[in-house]
Amino acid sequence: MFAWLESTPIAMWVGLSLWAYPLLLAVHIVGLAIVVGIFSMRDMRLLGLFPGLQPAAFLPLSRLAWVGFIINAISGILLFTSQAVTFVNNTPFLIKIAAILAGMALAGVIQSRLRGELAAVGNLSEISSSTRTIAMASLACWLTAIVAGRLIAYL
Amino acid sequence: MLDFFAQVALDSSLNQWIQAMYWLWPVLEITHFVGLSLLMGGLIVMDLRMAGHFRGFDPQASHKLLPLVFIGFGLNLVTGILFFYGDPMRYSINIGFQIKMILVVIAGLNALLYYWKVRPLMETWNAATAPPAIAKCVAYTSLTVWTGVLLCGRLIPYVGTG
Repeated sequence: MFAWLESTPIAMWVGLSLWAYPLLLAVHIVGLAIVVGIFSMRDMRLLGLFPGLQPAAFLPLSRLAWVGFIINAISGILLFTSQAVTFVNNTPFLIKIAAILAGMALAGVIQSRLRGELAAVGNLSEISSSTRTIAMASLACWLTAIVAGRLIAYL
Repeated sequence: MLDFFAQVALDSSLNQWIQAMYWLWPVLEITHFVGLSLLMGGLIVMDLRMAGHFRGFDPQASHKLLPLVFIGFGLNLVTGILFFYGDPMRYSINIGFQIKMILVVIAGLNALLYYWKVRPLMETWNAATAPPAIAKCVAYTSLTVWTGVLLCGRLIPYVGTG
């Protein structure tokens, strides 16, 4: 299946065009900065940094992080098609994908917890210790995604 | 000017040290990526708030992210200098690197404009304050220029000499 994917016209275009691959990589790093940038700020805030910065304001900002995720899902899938067989057999790549899926799932959990606490109490002055633990796990996921992603080229 | 720095780097023992440690390059790259995430993450919040978006963030409290932006920049300055020392002839003549450095300087000048002109204005802002044109201008310039830095940086391995 992955060999077939590599032979599709879109994969051929990504692989053979002089500019497609570098430009997709460039777009991919902007998406990375948006996703990891916003989610890591949110996680650090939930862990107690930057007191005074309203945690609830990260709720609408998360939508922008989702835009970054969609940018990277599209650019990432296109990059993937050009060397699909290599990527599916690359351990750092598989770890990276697992970390991203976990990070996005935790983003959903954090989002719904913050909304719930906001609806119940009216403000988010106290972050529950369970939410902090999830924020710590989320931060670890994004760090793992970066480390594994960079190591794809080396291992 | 870059030629001069490249020659200095090439003649240094640091250059040989970096090249001798095969594992150092990926470690520097990972650190550079973490640094850019901190830098951009902090700036996305600060600049978008400065431009009048996401008004749930207290305008004065948004400045609390600045130390993190500096940590991200510091990490990338150090790792960036080590990249340059490790492979000076690759970077000094590379058009992607050259444009990236110009953009970093522009971003720095824009940050001075923020520090001297916009930040004092923001002291009196509340959630309802409409940002003046200079605040929006500085904020969008910052986000645009830093995005350009990311794009140029990622293209360094693929573009030619300048």
